[in-house]
Amino acid sequence: MALAGLLRRRVRVSRPVDAETYPKRRLTLVIAAAVLLASLPMLTTYILLVLSSFSETLVTGAEFLEGKPIRFTLRYWEALLSGRLSAIVMTPVTINVWETILNTLIVALGVSLVVTLASTLAGYAFSRMRFRFRERLMELIILLHAFPGVTLLIGVYLLYIWTLASLLHGVGGAGRAFAVFAYTILARASLEIPMSVWMMKGFFDKIPWEVEWSALIDGASRIRTWLEVMLPQVKPGIAALAIFSFLAGWEDFIYVYVFLYLGTEGKYLTLATLIDQLVGNLETAELPLAAAAGVLYLLPTIAFFALTQRLLLEAYTGGVKA
Amino acid sequence: MVEVRLESVSKRFGRVVALHEVTLTFEDGSFTAILGPSGSGKTTLLYLIAGIYKPSSGRIYFGDRDVTNMPPNKRNVGLVFQNYALYPHMTVYDNIAFPLRLKKLPRDEIDRRVREVAKLLHIEELLERYPSQLSGGQQQRVAMARALVKQPDVLLLDEPLSNLDALLRIKIRAELKRLQKDLGITTIYVTHDQSEALALADRIVVIDRGRIQQVGTPDEVYARPRNLFVAGFIGSPPANLIPAKIVARSGSACVAIGDTVYCPDKPLSEKLARFQEVIVAFRPEHATLGEEPAENMVSIEAEVYTVETLGKENIVTLLVGATPVKVVVEPSVRPQPGSKLFINVEPEKLMFFDPETELNIEYIEV
Repeated sequence: MALAGLLRRRVRVSRPVDAETYPKRRLTLVIAAAVLLASLPMLTTYILLVLSSFSETLVTGAEFLEGKPIRFTLRYWEALLSGRLSAIVMTPVTINVWETILNTLIVALGVSLVVTLASTLAGYAFSRMRFRFRERLMELIILLHAFPGVTLLIGVYLLYIWTLASLLHGVGGAGRAFAVFAYTILARASLEIPMSVWMMKGFFDKIPWEVEWSALIDGASRIRTWLEVMLPQVKPGIAALAIFSFLAGWEDFIYVYVFLYLGTEGKYLTLATLIDQLVGNLETAELPLAAAAGVLYLLPTIAFFALTQRLLLEAYTGGVKA
Repeated sequence: MVEVRLESVSKRFGRVVALHEVTLTFEDGSFTAILGPSGSGKTTLLYLIAGIYKPSSGRIYFGDRDVTNMPPNKRNVGLVFQNYALYPHMTVYDNIAFPLRLKKLPRDEIDRRVREVAKLLHIEELLERYPSQLSGGQQQRVAMARALVKQPDVLLLDEPLSNLDALLRIKIRAELKRLQKDLGITTIYVTHDQSEALALADRIVVIDRGRIQQVGTPDEVYARPRNLFVAGFIGSPPANLIPAKIVARSGSACVAIGDTVYCPDKPLSEKLARFQEVIVAFRPEHATLGEEPAENMVSIEAEVYTVETLGKENIVTLLVGATPVKVVVEPSVRPQPGSKLFINVEPEKLMFFDPETELNIEYIEV
């Protein structure tokens, strides 16, 4: 009820009330209840995950029904953040969590950068320039998007192995690390680019031609026009794109697993592959530890969605209000 | 400030011919209106001069400079678009300053010129606002300021008043004319609104279906339309067009409009003699209504169809045969629909057109 009341109040303050926008109270209430009900399972799992990470044993929810107390501990968080996993996991592993987070960040930021750059440029070209096979290319891009990323993996992996063995033969250390990361980033980004190009095209389409022409007539070159007049107007799109692709890179498992982990004999972990390791053997797994890593893994997603709800909504509807 | 010259400029979009062989000169410092219905190619003509489009053939000159293949950013023109096309992410100040920044002028020089032009257009108090916070009239002024601040050689205006309400339009119209005369910039103004064209311009270019129909002063275009299109387009309401036959009366050619036969004097009757049929035209404001045929006037019998009362005048629509004819009369004149009246027109006010070439026979060389 409190939630419904909150919703109603928000509707009231945000818009002037007239016949068309007058809030339909009952409907709002019903929708709020339905949304709450639908998200209840998810909310419950999130809560259990967070609770588990602070508890001696995995919290399944049954404890509440049985009246058993949850034994609170910071042991797993301490172990995770200091990387002393061997104390908890029986096998002698030491994992530098900070390095893992750094690896995850590199992949996520890299994917974000590549996707944003490529789609902003390509989206502008598709929106504004006339060239041969423009329509065909647009269709092809949508077709590419329809391919599941996993099916491409075999081919991309072969190429990867070949590159490492031939072109990068004898290249070691930082050069190899750079190549491995670059390869992972590019491969992962290529999955995001098709849809992002379409999205950016939508944003550029909304800018009237006259605005662009105005800049040209005012004496700007094409590049300056793009930089100073067009780009600032698609800022919401760029921001949404950067966030989406950052999360895609952050969350990705299969590509980082194949290229960064398997491809380097387990040299580079990201949070996703770390969790996989922690729950790898269910019998010996310390699930609260995995829960702690899971919470860490979820943090950026939750933070971004909470902070940028409106922006994402705008991006999905493709609307930029001047 | 410069003279703009087009030499047989054509523009095709695929198979569609938007402009056909246009040759025109816009004199230095003149105010020219390009007048035509929508789809006539008037905006295309403007964009060609601005450099947004490149002509399919022909050449464009600014003075002695051949600008045919010059990109818009090198032409030094100012353009005000119909939707103003302000930069939504910049303040009014930055919008106006943008062309000057691109010229890399010193900061204080930019500031001085922005404030100067803002004062000229009475938008000094709006400089810190964003375009979305402005009314249509204010946006129009900002767009104007942005076009003027770089001191363009040519000022191009694409229906700049059409998004404004009627009162504001008349107010800004007067200011615009004054501004152009004060600054003396060669100005080309595209509009579909003939009252704007007649009120503002030194010269009017009437364009239809990609072809120039007539070039002349407002008086010329109004009083001596070159063809049927111009006659039927200019004027509010436009000229009446009545088909008529040429008949021989005592050896000279006369015009038979229904039962009325009018025999003009020598040079005209000689011209008319070459036709079997003509279209007679006269302006609604040049005719009067009467119960009887008037002396020394051409009187045409007609039946009243309807009367529109506009306050300062009434517009009476009558039928001559099956052809509707409009006459502008005093507000006190309100004839009964269905009654028979005579439309009286002074012979000098009549115009004759060749139905085939649609040309005013005044313009046909014998």
